[in-house]
Amino acid sequence: MKFRLIIDKNREEEVIIYAHEKTKLVEEIENLVSENNFELTGFIDREAVKLNLAEVYCFISENNKVFALCEKEKFRLRERLYQLEEKLPENFVKINQSCIADIKKIKKFDASFTGVLKVIFKNGYTDYVSRRNVKNVKERLGL
Amino acid sequence: MLKKGWGYNMKKYAKEFMHRGLMFGGFGPIVIGIIYMIISNFETDFSLSAGEVLLAIVSTYLLAFLQAGATVFNQIEHWSLPKSLFCHFVTLYLAYSLCYVLNSWIPFDGKVLLIFSLIFIVSFFAIWFIVYFCVRATSKRFNKKIEEK
Repeated sequence: MKFRLIIDKNREEEVIIYAHEKTKLVEEIENLVSENNFELTGFIDREAVKLNLAEVYCFISENNKVFALCEKEKFRLRERLYQLEEKLPENFVKINQSCIADIKKIKKFDASFTGVLKVIFKNGYTDYVSRRNVKNVKERLGL
Repeated sequence: MLKKGWGYNMKKYAKEFMHRGLMFGGFGPIVIGIIYMIISNFETDFSLSAGEVLLAIVSTYLLAFLQAGATVFNQIEHWSLPKSLFCHFVTLYLAYSLCYVLNSWIPFDGKVLLIFSLIFIVSFFAIWFIVYFCVRATSKRFNKKIEEK
């Protein structure tokens, strides 16, 4: 695949790919562009912080409040989980009713003793895949 | 910062227990209703008093409530496997045996209770092993894909 970069300050910035098929590279570029375009404001101690989607491990809902979990920090968001689900790039998948996870940030899956899949994120946070969402995860993993 | 205290977690699990119990408790009376309907189709002299019906409805509701709620025990992360399995098993065993005895589905007899207990233990662990190994196989497949990515 050839790469061409045209610097033109008079045109709107966009990425166009001509490909024979949607390969892994194309998907990665798509996710990278989506993540960069995604505007997200998180709140921590009443202070607004602009969040970079690439830093978010997952979005969770707790007591009717939505949070973005990063490496160590937890930011409160104004958006609802279903609103995020609609606009997040493909690497984000709903794993249960109150968690949308970035597949790239999952360290591993484990079998829990209750018969559901446990998800262990790279930052140590753990959650689970509800039976209803196993199919979603399977599809996103390309299985 | 991402970890929460013991109290918060236990409150969360208690809430989840209630939530699951209330969500699936209603299935108990539905199942017993279907079973009674099937029996009445085969046995012409099958009849129950109002008290027996009420007892069956209440006890099967509680049974389904506890059965659904008890699945939470296995999700309590700071509990060890033997502890969560033990609590799950004891809750189900007590719920089932009391429900069966109260409704006179099995007689209150030592020999019968022993056979019931043996069947219960074997079934409980057989189901647990099957489910656990199926989920483990799925997690292995998912992990393989994650490594590829």
